[in-house]
Amino acid sequence: MVPMPSKSPVATSVNDFTALPLRLTSTTSFPKQTAHYLYLRANTPKLPTEDTPREVFLVNVPVDATETHLRSLFADQLGGARVESVAFEGARVGKGITAPVAPAKKGKKRKRGPTDEGEEVAEEVGQLPEVWDREMHASGGTATVTFVDKASAELARKRARKAVKEGSKITWGLGVDDRVPPLGLARYQAHHKLQYPDPATLQHSVDAFMSAFSAAETTRTKSLTRQRSIPDADGFITVTRGGRTGPAREEEVKAQGEELKKRDKTRVKEDFYRFQVREKRKAEQQDLVKGYEEDRRRVEEMRRRRGRVRPE
Amino acid sequence: MSLSANKRRKVGHNAPGEDDVASFASFGEEIELEGAADEEMEVDGVAGEESVEDEDVAGSANETDEEEIKGLNSATASRLGKAHNRNDQVRATRSNLDAGRGMYSAGTFKSNMFKLQVDELLEQIRPRRGKREEAVEQALHALKRTIDKAPARGPFSVDEAERQLLMSSKVAVPFPSPRPPEDAKYKLQYAKPASSNVVGSFALKTATREKASLAVDMTVTMPSTLFQDKDYLNHRYFYKRAYYLACIAAALKGAHSSEYDLHFEDLHGDHLKPVLVVTPAQPAGHELETKPMLKWMIKIMPCVSGDVFPQDKLLPDRNCIRPTSETTAEPTPVYNSALRADMLVPSYLKLIHNAASTSSAFRDACLLGSTWLRQRGFDSNLAVGGFGNFEWSALIALLLQGGGPNGKPLLNEGYSSYQLFKAALQTLAMRDMSKQALVVGQAAGDAKPVPSNGPMVWDGPRGHNILYKVTPWAYSQLRQEAKTTITTLGDQLFDGFEAAFILRVDNALLRYDYVLQLPASVVNGGTVKLFDVLKRALGDKVTQIAIIPPQSQPWQLGSARPTVTSEAAVKIGLLVNPDTVNRTVDHGPAAESKAEANSFRKFWGEKAELRRFKDGSILESLIWSSSDAGQTVLEQIVRYVLGRHLGEGAEQGAAFADDGFARMISQGSGTAAFQPFMEAYKQLETDVRSLEGLPLSVRQILPADAQLRYASVQPPTSVRGRQRPMPANVTLQFEGSARWPDDLIAIQRTKIAFLLKLSEQLQEAVDGVTARIGLENQDRDILSQAYLDIIYESGVAFRMRIHHDREQTLLERQLKDKAIAPSAKEAAAAGLAAYKRDYIKTPAHTHSIARLCGRYPALSGSIRLTKKWFASHLLANHIADEVVELIVARTFVQPWPWQTPSSVQTGFLRTLHWLSRWDWRAEPLVVDLSGSGELKQADVQGIQTRFEAWRKLDPSMNRTVLFAASNVDPEGTTWTDGRPAKVIAGRMTALAKAACAEVEEKQLALEAAGLFASPLADYDFVLHLDPALSGGKKRKGTSNGTAFKNLELATLDDSSLVGFDPRHFFLQELEELFGSAVLLFSGGSERPVIAGLWSPQTAPRSWKVNLAYSTIPKKTPKTEEIQADINKEAMLAEIARLGGDIVERVEVNR
Repeated sequence: MVPMPSKSPVATSVNDFTALPLRLTSTTSFPKQTAHYLYLRANTPKLPTEDTPREVFLVNVPVDATETHLRSLFADQLGGARVESVAFEGARVGKGITAPVAPAKKGKKRKRGPTDEGEEVAEEVGQLPEVWDREMHASGGTATVTFVDKASAELARKRARKAVKEGSKITWGLGVDDRVPPLGLARYQAHHKLQYPDPATLQHSVDAFMSAFSAAETTRTKSLTRQRSIPDADGFITVTRGGRTGPAREEEVKAQGEELKKRDKTRVKEDFYRFQVREKRKAEQQDLVKGYEEDRRRVEEMRRRRGRVRPE
Repeated sequence: MSLSANKRRKVGHNAPGEDDVASFASFGEEIELEGAADEEMEVDGVAGEESVEDEDVAGSANETDEEEIKGLNSATASRLGKAHNRNDQVRATRSNLDAGRGMYSAGTFKSNMFKLQVDELLEQIRPRRGKREEAVEQALHALKRTIDKAPARGPFSVDEAERQLLMSSKVAVPFPSPRPPEDAKYKLQYAKPASSNVVGSFALKTATREKASLAVDMTVTMPSTLFQDKDYLNHRYFYKRAYYLACIAAALKGAHSSEYDLHFEDLHGDHLKPVLVVTPAQPAGHELETKPMLKWMIKIMPCVSGDVFPQDKLLPDRNCIRPTSETTAEPTPVYNSALRADMLVPSYLKLIHNAASTSSAFRDACLLGSTWLRQRGFDSNLAVGGFGNFEWSALIALLLQGGGPNGKPLLNEGYSSYQLFKAALQTLAMRDMSKQALVVGQAAGDAKPVPSNGPMVWDGPRGHNILYKVTPWAYSQLRQEAKTTITTLGDQLFDGFEAAFILRVDNALLRYDYVLQLPASVVNGGTVKLFDVLKRALGDKVTQIAIIPPQSQPWQLGSARPTVTSEAAVKIGLLVNPDTVNRTVDHGPAAESKAEANSFRKFWGEKAELRRFKDGSILESLIWSSSDAGQTVLEQIVRYVLGRHLGEGAEQGAAFADDGFARMISQGSGTAAFQPFMEAYKQLETDVRSLEGLPLSVRQILPADAQLRYASVQPPTSVRGRQRPMPANVTLQFEGSARWPDDLIAIQRTKIAFLLKLSEQLQEAVDGVTARIGLENQDRDILSQAYLDIIYESGVAFRMRIHHDREQTLLERQLKDKAIAPSAKEAAAAGLAAYKRDYIKTPAHTHSIARLCGRYPALSGSIRLTKKWFASHLLANHIADEVVELIVARTFVQPWPWQTPSSVQTGFLRTLHWLSRWDWRAEPLVVDLSGSGELKQADVQGIQTRFEAWRKLDPSMNRTVLFAASNVDPEGTTWTDGRPAKVIAGRMTALAKAACAEVEEKQLALEAAGLFASPLADYDFVLHLDPALSGGKKRKGTSNGTAFKNLELATLDDSSLVGFDPRHFFLQELEELFGSAVLLFSGGSERPVIAGLWSPQTAPRSWKVNLAYSTIPKKTPKTEEIQADINKEAMLAEIARLGGDIVERVEVNR
């Protein structure tokens, strides 16, 4: 079924992953039947959560996969397991991946590091409008599918193994094309439109963000003030910014230091003492020698690179 | 000058008193102890650079200082005299002296480099004695013996002599034209030569070793008895000379025809003086022999002793060809000098030999000069100017004797080779010898001779003009080249060595702004007339006219001198003045001045019109149609005058070689097409500044886009509907305020709030403006989140972003913060780079380029053409616009070894030429965009250091490959960080090399479009995109029925589509999704294709989870391990699905 000229047979599983071949429908611009291999297994994160048993981990998800696609895949072609949610792999960091441990929040694709309470608030209210109607995923990426219960997850894995064994044909994107936004030019047009949101919406979002931001700022200032006046358990008072005379800023200290150095230098003129003149001249001469050596090295190197100096 | 002299002496005085290291700085005293004589003279070359310039040519005022220097120099010279003999020995011990050599390099770093390179060059080109030389010497002896043995002939009458030679040994006498009259009274005869001698550069060891063939000049002195008193008249001498030569040829043919090939040739293309050329014979039947032929040739030239004819009869103002009719006898300077030159051969040999023995650096200076001339295509041959090695060495030899004020020598024997070289160039450049002759020595009797047409260097004692062969056009070219080289050598920032000695600059297409060809039959020897006609017709439109007639070819002994063949062509090269070349109205003389007006009318014929101009003057004038319609003004003029003065054939036959390039760019190569857009930008600035209700006042608005610096491939059109405009980036900075939030994310949101306010007010205040806010960088919230598109009714669009300088501090603080996560740090670094690029570097760069475009009219066109070239070769997405602009700007601000280009063709071709030679692994690109020396030496050094640091940090060049710095961006990686990759840069060089090879090969027959064609077969796969989607064209009713979204597109109103470029979106997305497995190539809007190469990192490997591409799990046959093979087809299918109707066809090559 693989139209690719290959001497070696395709493996049905690798490590503990099942390699599920998906048939890709041909397009007018690339009229060829091809197969895409989706690898799946039970999710085994380092830090399991209570949802872990009903999760399945997918590798090499097609770039155009959507939640609808995967729902349909498991529901219609792999025994009808019902999917609760899908979390696609987020941003790639360097070469490795950050496997999604658990979906942060349903349907939300972008992740920020929500650390303190204030920002969490801002994030929820001040979100800028989405500019894509359908997100794509980097080639070879992963996803975690959460099923409604543990049984469904097991069923899905079992049916996948069976499908591989029996060689039954499973088609990617069967019957979902009209349920997801179209690709191609239409998608880019939609993107172009979404790029320019309604000013009122935008204004609203910015206002919400800014008010949340200033609220967070205020809380932070307050807590700092509190810290300044109340000693901690060991009886120390934390030094914080603000207050009447806050701690010095790093930049200012540095600037001050520079200034002092400069003043030091100009106090005694550079050519006041005889030894200064002599040392200066010595240094100049050493520079000359050094410069000369440097140039010689350069010319040597040039010769090595280009061969001998010779007119063309 | 006096300053430098004083400095030197001062240092010298100080030196002995100081400790040992101090002696490094002193020149004079300790040098002899070290015994490194050859270095010493080079020092003078370096340190005395300035002094040579002033002293010799410009400053005759400072006589006293001059004396001092000369004193100093002659002192050195006497030492040198002794030292020179030790040269070889010194060279052997050179390595031991390395430490000591530092002492001589008191100059700047550039001079050091220069000196070292010159040393090495001389080492390479100095003549050596090898097999070839030995073979030549053997041949010389053999030839001399044969010539001495040859029997005397004659005297015969002309007719008889010719017939007899032809019958006996099949040698045709190479008489110059006109042939001797049939009824000539004089007799021709041959007698044993008085002497024969080896002369010229071989004998004097001033020839470079680089020549393809070793040429040796051998003179044969004809005995004086053969000549009569009046033989200098009416070519009689030359007829006798020709017969004498033919007799030698006959003798040699009889004796050596098996060993040597014999030909006649015109000496330096002068038909008066044929010579006999002896070359080694091609061994017939020895083809199998692999031993390469030793290439040499001996030119045998008859000459005559110096006292045969009286000197005063042959002065340049005398007539020696008596007219047949009763007209006045015009002087015949060239004829006279040609004869005189024959008489003076031994005398000049002696002169040059003397110079070589008194001045130790003379030979090296000749070698340098000869290299310099060769690279510029100058030669003693008349066709290429008539200034060659002999003229060069004779000039220096003469200047060592005199030529200065009060008859003092202009050059000093103690000068180093480099000083001699530079001073000779300076003399050539500064002194117009065609206006005032350079006189050396006492002119015998008369007052100073006045040059008639060409330049004159009058050698008084010998009564000869050594530059008699140099044509006026070649002379002006020579001077121009000398000036250019002087400027190059004076450039403190960049090493001028390559430009002066290494690069060949004689390719006509690169050298001249416009090149045209005429059939030689049309010109028919009348090059002087051609020159005069062109010079008068083009006036101030051109700065230089060069005429290159076809070179005369050698011919067989038995045949007559060949005539001009039909395919031979005269090349004409023009350097234009870009400011005036496209002027359509030329003013002639006023109607009142009758004589001038008449001559004007006579010259221009019916093209001359009498016109009245606005200022009330009535002038003869010429009207040409503007350049945009077909022919350029220049071409119209040239064709018209050629037709009028040289006949129809010339007009028809003239072929311009420039056409293609200027026409490759749409809407003209000038900046005119950008003017409406620039005005719209000014309007924008006023509109924004005049808004009243903004919370902060506007500090500045800066342009930051290629369209706003005359550099976009397509000029922005303001015609509504013709093109979907791409908004031009603009930055806006408000006055400072303390109320900005102190957090990066919040700053970005605040900017949106500002933009909202701005957009609202702008739409209210200005009629017909659409303003809307677009979002960007959704994934990175510390970068700019939004921009404001401002679209005017005329269709002009701008994209405005707000510049807030607090961002930089915040980003820098994040970078320094130790508590922060590495990923956040990375984001901050990227943010800082983007901030600097978008808000600081790009506006500054835009400003500089726009200013340069104003200064150099051909720059804009060259940039656009070069960008088109990059796009045609699908490199547009890899090499940033700004980098291309820097590369092209370099051609204009550092044009060496040429002058600044004045046409798009030269600008483009020279850029390619440089690109093909740019070793980006080891050299940074440094451009002074100010064009006025704002970049200082320290800056350049800083850039170089930074470059070296980058290479040390990243020796395999994974991150930074090209390093392009300028005075506005000393960091050098602003536009090249991360891309292009090494393989792309390599491809760029390879493409440029291929293009240059094409230029070199095709010469004038070059097709401009050929350089832009790039086959798609090199790529692994090619995506053919829907051509209707480019920003430029909109699909109209012609669509082929398939329900594309184009209908929808068409119905959307224009302004909502501003900036919509689906191909760009598609490309960007592909790079994001598949970037780690595929290298994508795009031609931007120039070519509707995206090509791809599979990355070599996708080779089969053991399976793992985090491979960044689609895979097939394959069992390896032997081991049971499972390999991951890249699933190319599935990926292509994904790409096809993603692109949908954007992709018309996927073509898989491998």
